[in-house]
Amino acid sequence: MSAPACTGPIEFAALVAYWMGELPPAEEAPLEEHLLGCAHCAQNLAALAAIGSAIRGAVRTGRVDAMISAPLLERMKKEGLRLCEYRIPAGGSVNCTLRADEDGVVGRMQAALAGVKRLDVVQVIEAQGEKSSQRLEDIPFDPAAGEVLHFPSAAAMRKMPPTTIRMRLIAVEESGEQALGEYTFVHTPS
Amino acid sequence: VREPERLASFVLGTCRMVVLEIRRGTRRREALLAAYRPAEEAVDAPEAAALDAEKLAGCLEALAERERSVLVHTFFAEQSADEVASALALTAGNVRVIRHRALARLRGCMEGEGP
Repeated sequence: MSAPACTGPIEFAALVAYWMGELPPAEEAPLEEHLLGCAHCAQNLAALAAIGSAIRGAVRTGRVDAMISAPLLERMKKEGLRLCEYRIPAGGSVNCTLRADEDGVVGRMQAALAGVKRLDVVQVIEAQGEKSSQRLEDIPFDPAAGEVLHFPSAAAMRKMPPTTIRMRLIAVEESGEQALGEYTFVHTPS
Repeated sequence: VREPERLASFVLGTCRMVVLEIRRGTRRREALLAAYRPAEEAVDAPEAAALDAEKLAGCLEALAERERSVLVHTFFAEQSADEVASALALTAGNVRVIRHRALARLRGCMEGEGP
């Protein structure tokens, strides 16, 4: 095959901006023209499309564990994902089960987040007498929302024995750390 | 919609968002056509094939919390940098930086041996 040489390849960041509809119209036309004639850049765009599609698939099939937002949760529901929401106050505990007809669960941890600059989560998992913990650093959140939304991996949940998961929200400040609340999820297999 | 830009000028308020969605969809189809044309000619174009779902899940897991969250917002909800910024109380510039770094790490992981 003899693909024409690509002169002045488009930077990947520009391809992403193009794909997300962020470029001004005046910049789109020349970029599209370039894509038509440049196999290298077109393949980069195809790779980006493949990654985007795979991420969508991973979310739909519950293979992703992520902190989300209320707007994203609404979008997930609009797209037909069946999600069980658990709204839980600081210090609260909730029994949760992922039923066979559900695609996932969302923990909505209510917290006073005004003024918080950085938030970490310490996750303590207890199952069958074993205890493990991990610290999730610098999680994304909207201080105005007054809650932190966690979308755990449904695929991982389906494999879990009865498990207690404690999520501790910690505000990290220059002067030190401040615990904002602990949230307990008592998971029972369906 | 053949001329979505022209149509957009007639539509106000919330309808604009609907048009934007159509416009994005149209452009993406065009872009995909452009993208896959050379890929079809290539003998072996691994990136055009569906990605390994398990490997992708592992590579996503290996990202920082912010990176994973920004990618999920970006690609599941098809949110622009401005929209992701608004959902997560970041600046749009910050979202672009996180998004770029996350995609670079994810591609590196997918093209390498995985997480």
